[in-house]
Amino acid sequence: MICILALVVFGILGIFSATHRKLALEAFECVFKKIRLQPCDSGLDKRLKSQITGKLMRKHPKMARFGYRHFEAVSLILTIIMIVSFVYSGLGIYNFVAYGNCNGESSQEACVYEGLGNAFKIDVDCESPLCQNEYCTCKEGSGCQEKEGDICKENCYGSVIK
Amino acid sequence: MSRKRRRHLQGKLLWFGDQMSLNVEKIKEDFPIFLRKIHGKRIIYMDSACVTLKPRQVVEAMNKYYEYFPACAGRSSHKLGRETSDQINNSRKTLQRFINAKSVNEVIFTKNTTEGINLISNSLKLKGGDVILTSDKEHNSCLLPFQLLKRKGVRHEIFKFGNLDDFQSKLTKDVKLVATAHTSNLDGTSNPIRNIIRLAHENNSLVLVDGAQSVPHKKVDVRRMNVDFLAFSGHKMLGPSGTGVLYGKQDLMERLNPLFLGGDAVKNSTYNNYEIEELPKKFEAGLQNYAGIIGLAEAARYLTKMGRDNLEKHLINLNELITDAFQNLDIEILGGTKAEKRGGIISFNMKKINPHEIAGILNESSNIMIRSGMHCVHSWFNAHELKGSARVSLYAYNTREDCGVLIKEIMKIHKLLL
Repeated sequence: MICILALVVFGILGIFSATHRKLALEAFECVFKKIRLQPCDSGLDKRLKSQITGKLMRKHPKMARFGYRHFEAVSLILTIIMIVSFVYSGLGIYNFVAYGNCNGESSQEACVYEGLGNAFKIDVDCESPLCQNEYCTCKEGSGCQEKEGDICKENCYGSVIK
Repeated sequence: MSRKRRRHLQGKLLWFGDQMSLNVEKIKEDFPIFLRKIHGKRIIYMDSACVTLKPRQVVEAMNKYYEYFPACAGRSSHKLGRETSDQINNSRKTLQRFINAKSVNEVIFTKNTTEGINLISNSLKLKGGDVILTSDKEHNSCLLPFQLLKRKGVRHEIFKFGNLDDFQSKLTKDVKLVATAHTSNLDGTSNPIRNIIRLAHENNSLVLVDGAQSVPHKKVDVRRMNVDFLAFSGHKMLGPSGTGVLYGKQDLMERLNPLFLGGDAVKNSTYNNYEIEELPKKFEAGLQNYAGIIGLAEAARYLTKMGRDNLEKHLINLNELITDAFQNLDIEILGGTKAEKRGGIISFNMKKINPHEIAGILNESSNIMIRSGMHCVHSWFNAHELKGSARVSLYAYNTREDCGVLIKEIMKIHKLLL
């Protein structure tokens, strides 16, 4: 399980660092083997386990013991948390793209993506086919003269998501 | 007392301190790597069976070649060339004395033990039906070259390492070569090599000894052993990597054909023929690793000055310390619990903990560098259905304090993780 985590973490770090890119590749090979029901024989899992345990042993011996004894379970939990958070992040992005709010249609709750401001939005005039697009959102007072629900029909001066 | 003798004794005092044991702190000063700290902690290097650290003297000797006389030996007659030739000749003499060979012609420079063994396995011209006898605990370097000869119909038999009765039972008339390790890199135990050589000679078999682990750790005298061939590496005896020696009795070596041919290995050549050089040149084709050879000789001088008997005692003392502690923790030590039989090696397994994890944790928690895995003796581990072991291998620069830190960390692992 740690290989899946390592693949994601090192994959992201690998964008910036060649060392981590190599580890990401190793993690990928490991995951690829596991998918084919073959044992991961690169030793990456053992290396990560011993590195984490060794580091923890210096200052938090009890935590090191817990981590070592339940390494697979902890890895599994972290992997599940990671997958779940990916799913929710994906949903949030979808909602933000579709409705301008990551919490879903007509939600008034705070959305982390709002910080991005209008970075994903462009102005279109009413002749634009985008105005007929169901993903178009018309802001209040934007000049839309006709609106059915959240779908802009014509004379749209509002903004749509890119 | 001559000035030379006085200087020698003064040097000895520096090495041995008051109690005629190695002055390890003084020795450590020769290793600049010990000034280095990783994550604010000092380095505890315990992987010397793989590669030893290099003393300043060896590095300086090598640098001297590159800085002052980086020329060809043997072929160029200019001043720099002559200087290089002198240095290489001196180095050969040093190595000759180091193993007590009869002649400098018996010392062939190679790049490591593996090359030496391959050179013999290929040069002996063994034929179908001949048998090569190796032990069950050989490093891949002393096993695979003989497996390769199976293509020629040469048979390969195995005897139990350290077991003279088993050796004798396998020693048939067809055995043309006995090739075995003097000391095992797996657990540090040694073969009764002189008896093996004697029995093999009585059977008219030749003996090739893999001295990679014995030459750096104890006095090896090829004439007393009466060994036919001995191969060892420089990188395991404080020397540079890419250096090694193949010793062979002169009369035998003269009869062997070289494995490689090229520059400096022939006296003359035409478009159709060539005349091979005399020993040792005929086995040293092409431009040699001069800096490495000079560094290797310097390492041999360093070890001679230190005294390999003292080194052996030092290693056994440290081994006893670790062995006692490990026994109290019920840790399984490969090769038995008698430290004096394992020199500077402690190969061990802890129940439920993978050896790679032990090595990784020690490395991460205290910069203790040990080796884990099968140590290139896959055949033995596979036969015993073991996944490997963690191996501590000590050398002259390891102190009792180092061993204390190792024991403390192992105790911590034992307490926390088992």
